[in-house]
Amino acid sequence: MFTTVYPQLIGLCTGALLLTSALMVWRHSLLASIRLLSVQGFALAALVAVIGVEEGELEVILVAVLVLLVKGMALPWVLARETHATTRTDEAPRLNPTAALLTVALLTILSYVVASRLLTGDTSISAHAAPIGLAMVLIGFLLLVTRRQAGSQLIGFLVLDNGIATVAFLTSGGVPLFLELGISLDVLLVVVILYVFAGRMRNKFGNTEIDQLRKLHD
Amino acid sequence: MTALEAGMLSQTLLLVVAIAAALATPLSWRSRVSGTFCTLLAAAGIVTGAIALAGGTGSLSIPTALPMDPLALSPDRLGGLVMVVVSVVGVLASLFGIGSARVASASRTAWLSMAVFLFGMQLVPAATDVVSFLLFWEIMTLGSTALLLAHHATRGTVASALVWYSAMSQLSFFFVLAGFAMLAGLAGGTGFADLATIDPFTWQASVAFLLLLLGFGGKAELVPLHVWVPRVLPEAPGHVAAAMSGAMVNIGVYGALLVVVRLLPDGPAWWGVLIMALGGVSALYGILQASVASNLKVLLAYSTTENMGLVFLGLGASVLLRADNATAAADAALVAALLLMLSHAAFKSTLFLGAGAVARAAGEMNLDRLGGLGSRMPWTAAAFGAAAMGAAALPVTSGFVAEWMLLQALIHGSRVDGEVVSVAASVAMPLAVAVIALTAGLALLTFVKAYGIAFLARPRSQEAKQAREVPVIMRIPLAIGALLVIGLGVLPGPLAVAIGGAVGPEFTPDVRTIGLAGIDARGIDAVLDPITFVVLAGLLLVPVLIVLFLSARRHPTRTSPLPWAGGGSRLRPRMQYTATSYAEPLVRVFDDVLRPSRDVEVTHAGESRYLVERVHVEQSVSDVVETRLYRPVLNLMQRAGILARRAQNGSIHRYLSYSFVALLVVLIVVSL
Repeated sequence: MFTTVYPQLIGLCTGALLLTSALMVWRHSLLASIRLLSVQGFALAALVAVIGVEEGELEVILVAVLVLLVKGMALPWVLARETHATTRTDEAPRLNPTAALLTVALLTILSYVVASRLLTGDTSISAHAAPIGLAMVLIGFLLLVTRRQAGSQLIGFLVLDNGIATVAFLTSGGVPLFLELGISLDVLLVVVILYVFAGRMRNKFGNTEIDQLRKLHD
Repeated sequence: MTALEAGMLSQTLLLVVAIAAALATPLSWRSRVSGTFCTLLAAAGIVTGAIALAGGTGSLSIPTALPMDPLALSPDRLGGLVMVVVSVVGVLASLFGIGSARVASASRTAWLSMAVFLFGMQLVPAATDVVSFLLFWEIMTLGSTALLLAHHATRGTVASALVWYSAMSQLSFFFVLAGFAMLAGLAGGTGFADLATIDPFTWQASVAFLLLLLGFGGKAELVPLHVWVPRVLPEAPGHVAAAMSGAMVNIGVYGALLVVVRLLPDGPAWWGVLIMALGGVSALYGILQASVASNLKVLLAYSTTENMGLVFLGLGASVLLRADNATAAADAALVAALLLMLSHAAFKSTLFLGAGAVARAAGEMNLDRLGGLGSRMPWTAAAFGAAAMGAAALPVTSGFVAEWMLLQALIHGSRVDGEVVSVAASVAMPLAVAVIALTAGLALLTFVKAYGIAFLARPRSQEAKQAREVPVIMRIPLAIGALLVIGLGVLPGPLAVAIGGAVGPEFTPDVRTIGLAGIDARGIDAVLDPITFVVLAGLLLVPVLIVLFLSARRHPTRTSPLPWAGGGSRLRPRMQYTATSYAEPLVRVFDDVLRPSRDVEVTHAGESRYLVERVHVEQSVSDVVETRLYRPVLNLMQRAGILARRAQNGSIHRYLSYSFVALLVVLIVVSL
C-alpha cells in the first residue's frame, strides 16, 4: 500500500519545499519568512521520514526526527526570538516581487534542465524530484543576493542549506546519522554566531542593513 | 654513510643550530654567535663541495608526502664546484657580518634568513631532480628576500626595492618552472637523468630552453631581467650584497650550465648565438651603466651584470662551437666561462665587502662625496684595490686569466685546421671579441674611477675625512678575498684542471697545468704561465726602479704651485675630479644609449647677467630597459588594476551576486 502512495508523498513533500521557498521570495515580512522556514523544515523532515519508511531504515527516521528538531523548530525559534526582540523595519528588497517570482520560475526550469543532464542514469522516483533541491539552492542564493537585512540574508542561507540537504536525501537515499548530526549542529552554530553578529551590528549602527558594510576593500 | 652524505647532513644540522642561535641569543651577542654559525654552515658547504668535486659520491633522499619519487640530493662534480664557490663567498660574507651587522642587520630576522639563504644556495647545486632544485631555489629566494626585509624599517626605499626583487624573483621562478615542466612532460619524469634523454632538436626542447634561459638569466642579472639589481644591492648591507652578487648569481649560471652541459648538451647552433647575444648585450649595457654610475654600490651592481654577460658569452660560444664540431675550442670557452664565474665571485664579493666597509666608515656611498680613504683605511683600500684590478681584468689577477682564456677560445674558435667552421661562428666570434675588448676598456675606466675617486686624492666631505679603518674581524674576509683574487690570477692552473674535470663527461677539455700552476689549454694551443710573467715583469721593472731611484736622489722633490689652483698653492678638495666629471667624456660618447637627463641651474649675483653666484648641475642616468620596457607594462597593469577595482566596491551584495552569476554560468554550461 505504501509503495503506491510513496511517489505522491515524495511529490507532496518536495512540492511543499518548493512552494515555501517561492513564497519566501514573495513575502517581505521577516516574521512571515520565519514561519515559512519552519514549514519548510517540517516538509524536509517529512520527506526524510518518507524515504526512511520506504527503505525501512531506522537510522534515516532518526535523522528525520533530528531534522524536525533542528530545522523545523530550533532554527526558526532562534530567528524569531531575534526578530521579536527588535523594532524591525520591513524588508525593501532589491528586486520587486513580480520580477523575483519570474526569476524563481527561470531558476527552477534551469535546475530541471541541469538535473536532466546530470542524473541521466538514475530513474528512481526520488532522483526525479532532485531538481527541486537544486532549485532551492538557487532560490536561497537569490534571497542572499537580493535581501538587505541581515535577518533575511540568514533565511536565504538556511534555504540554501535546506536545498543542499534535499538534494543529498533524494539522490543518495539518506545521509548517515553522524554526518547529519554534524551538519545540523554546524548550521545551528553558524546561525547563532550570525545572530550575535546581527545584534552587534544593531547596537553599533542602529540597523542591520548589509549595504552599509562597504569597507571590505582596500 | 659516505663523506658527502655526512657533509650535506652537517649543513642541515648547522642550519638548524644557526636558526636557533639567531632566535635565542640577545642582541649584544647575536652577530658574533649567529655569524660564527653561518660561517660554519658555509664552511661545511666548502668541505661538501670539495668532496663532490673530488669525485665523492653519496645521496641524501628527502621523503615527501607527494605521489612521486623521493627528492634526492647528490651533487656531481660540477655541482660540487658551484657549491664550493658559493660557500667560499658565504664564509667571507658571514665573517664580515660578524663585525659589520648592527641594529637592523643584526636583528633575529636578518641572521635567521642569512642562514636560510646560505643553506638554500649551497644545496641548489646538490639537487638531482627538478622538484628538489626548485625547492632549494625557492628557499634561497625566500631567504634573500627576508634578509632584505629586515632593513625595511630603517630605510623607506627598501620596500620599493623589495617589491621589485620579489616580482623579478617570481618571474624568474615562473620561467624556470615552466621550462622544467615542459622538459619533464617530454621526458616523463622529473629526475635530471630522465631529462637528459630528451632530443634537443624538438621544438618543445627549444621552447623549454628559452624559458630556462630567461629564468636563469634573471637570477644571473642579465639584461633585460636585471632591473632589480641596481635597486636592491645598494639597499643591502655590504655582506648581504656580497652574498647576493658574489654567490647567488652563480646559481643562475649553474642553472644555465645544467641546461647546456648536463640536460641538453649538443643543442642547435642558434641556441649558442642566442646566449651569446644575451650575454654580449648584458656585458655592454652593464659596463656602460656602471661606468657612469656615481653611487659605488650601483656601480658594483651593474658591473655584476657585465661580468655575468661575459660568462654567458663564453657559455654561448661553447654551445655554438660544439654545434659546429669545433670541440676543443668549445671546451676551452666553457672552461673560460667557469673561470670567469669563479673570478667574479672572488672579486665581486671583496668589492661589495669593501663597499660595506666604506659605508660603515664614511656613511656614504656617493663617490662624489668620498675620497682620501686610502690613507685612512689602508686595509680596505688594499683589498678593494686588488679586487678592482680583478674586475678590470688586469694581469696577475683572476679576471685577467679568465678573460684571456675566453679571448683565446673565441679567437681560435672559428677555425679548425684553417677551415672556417660555420658562417655563424665566423661572424659571432669576431663580434664577441670586439664586445669583450670594449667591455674590458670600459671596465678599466670604471674601476679606475671607483678606486681612484673613493680612495685616492682628498676627502670631498666631512664624513669621508673622519673615516676610520674597520675592525679586524672585517679586515680578515677582505684580506682573504683579495688573496683569492691574486691567488687565482697567479696560480690558475690547478683550478682550470678542476673545472675541466667538473664539466665532464659531456665536455672533456684538455686543460693541464704547466710550469708552476700555469694554464696549458692543449686544444687551442694556448699557454699562460702567470708566475713566469710576474718574474719577467719583475726583472724588467728592476732597472726602471733603479733609474727612478737615482733620478729622485739627483733632483730632490719640489712642490710647484699647480697652474689650475689659480696661482695659489692651496689646493681644495673641490678642485679635484669627481666621479661624475670623470665619467663625463663617456657620457658624451654614449649619449644616445644612456640618454642622461641634465639639469643646470644658474643663480646670478644680484642683477648682473654676467656674474654668476652659483651653478647647480644635476645629472642622472636612468635605466633605458626599465623606462622603455618595464614602465609601459607596469602602467598598463596599473590601469587594468584600477579598472578591476571598480568590480570590487566592498558591497557584500556585489560579491554574492558574483558568486551567484558564476554558479548560474557553470550550471548553464553544464546543461548545454
